Amino acid sequence: MRANPEVLILEDDAETLDELQGHFARKRFHPLGARSAARALSLLEHNRYSSRPVLAIIDWDLGKAPDRSASSGDVLSRLARELRECPVIVYSQNIDAFNVRSQIQRSHPRALLHDKRDGDASLLERIDRMLDRTVGDLRIHDGTVVVHLPTLDQHHHREAIRLVVHHPDIVTFHSDTATKAVRRFGEWLHGHGSAVRLVSHGNRKYRLSVTATEGSAPDPEV
Amino acid sequence: MSVRALSGPATDGYGVSVSAWLAHHTPVSTPTLAEADRGHGLLRSLARFGGEGYRVEFTDAPWMLGVRAPDRSRAILVVTVDGELAVAVRDAVPRRMAVIRDARSDDAGEIASACLPWPWMVVGSHVSVAPALARILRERPVLTFWLGAAPDGLPGHARIFDRPAALFAAIRGACEATVGGMRLAPGSGVELGDGTLLRGATLESLVAAYPAGFALPTRSFRAVSEALARHNTGWTAQRDGSTRMTLVPSAPVTRR
Repeated sequence: MRANPEVLILEDDAETLDELQGHFARKRFHPLGARSAARALSLLEHNRYSSRPVLAIIDWDLGKAPDRSASSGDVLSRLARELRECPVIVYSQNIDAFNVRSQIQRSHPRALLHDKRDGDASLLERIDRMLDRTVGDLRIHDGTVVVHLPTLDQHHHREAIRLVVHHPDIVTFHSDTATKAVRRFGEWLHGHGSAVRLVSHGNRKYRLSVTATEGSAPDPEV
Repeated sequence: MSVRALSGPATDGYGVSVSAWLAHHTPVSTPTLAEADRGHGLLRSLARFGGEGYRVEFTDAPWMLGVRAPDRSRAILVVTVDGELAVAVRDAVPRRMAVIRDARSDDAGEIASACLPWPWMVVGSHVSVAPALARILRERPVLTFWLGAAPDGLPGHARIFDRPAALFAAIRGACEATVGGMRLAPGSGVELGDGTLLRGATLESLVAAYPAGFALPTRSFRAVSEALARHNTGWTAQRDGSTRMTLVPSAPVTRR
């Protein structure tokens, strides 16, 4: 079963937004692009029952947004409240200013910060490092496929990607469809004799656990 | 009488269906599509929640801030006037170990209540302790670190620092503490020497505070002692010489 994972992108500059959307589309993600916070909130609302983005990229400064009725802080607060397990990268020209960082942290305590002055390439590189992860004998390829390295067999499902991206954290799944996909992924891991196994914590909470083996790659810093 | 027109199925190219119904009593200010767009007024049903035409509500109301969202992850609540210390604490804490919750005096009580079951650590500087927060600190095993003069309401086990560097070193030390092979797992829980993950906020606090402890009643720690015994860790929670509850090696069990 295939289901391309969504990525929410809030960027007020049309050219940069196009570039980011193109990057994710090439990696076979489904980008949910927005130039204003109001539009991003609307996208989250429209997708709340069908899917949940595996990643959100948020531009903190929305000076060029066509609609200023909401702020990036509103989007971050919504993500923190309703999509807590979705990793969020916030980038800004003023990320060094403690009052900006404090505002971001109060809107979304788990948000990762990125300095916009390092350029778009630096942001894309960091995103790729986050998404193309290796966990035990599994590797995410192009952000959309989990590859079992010893056999090179592939598992395509966004919930599997979500679990690998979040390792070692616990992920809460919000629908029967999602939990069924997760259990299928667990069976797939078991069937392949993977060093990674699915651990259930009840109430639709799952995480991946890695049996320590010689030569397993450490998780990359993000 | 109110009438609306909707496009019907285009069986013959064009089609229009007309429906009519008795209107509600006309209010003084007639609701507009703009109101419906925001989910209010008589026309709301034309723009359903999550549907096209429905504009999502948003607000910058303080109660909507993500920092107030309930969360069961290990949390460090930092209470300051301006948030600068919270930013520095975030840089000091190893990644994935704890979520930093940046609070002010006036919302610290509410944010502390959103840390489930309670904040693992409270760090503060130059602020008073709100009554709601003081109650949590008095009744729960919360690591309490304070920079500068200690205000009223801090528990007896609070640690006071006069330099930021010493405070950050203590925070890092708490995150990286190990006791008899037990250490804090990323996010929440305690990993035992054999890799077993034990969940429990009280045990997390005891491991992080070791060898110090908490000036709290013994009954708050009974469940921890039982869990540690069940897993044969060789440790238990006991009152130390300074009358604080802390982890100590348990007496070996003699088997007949």
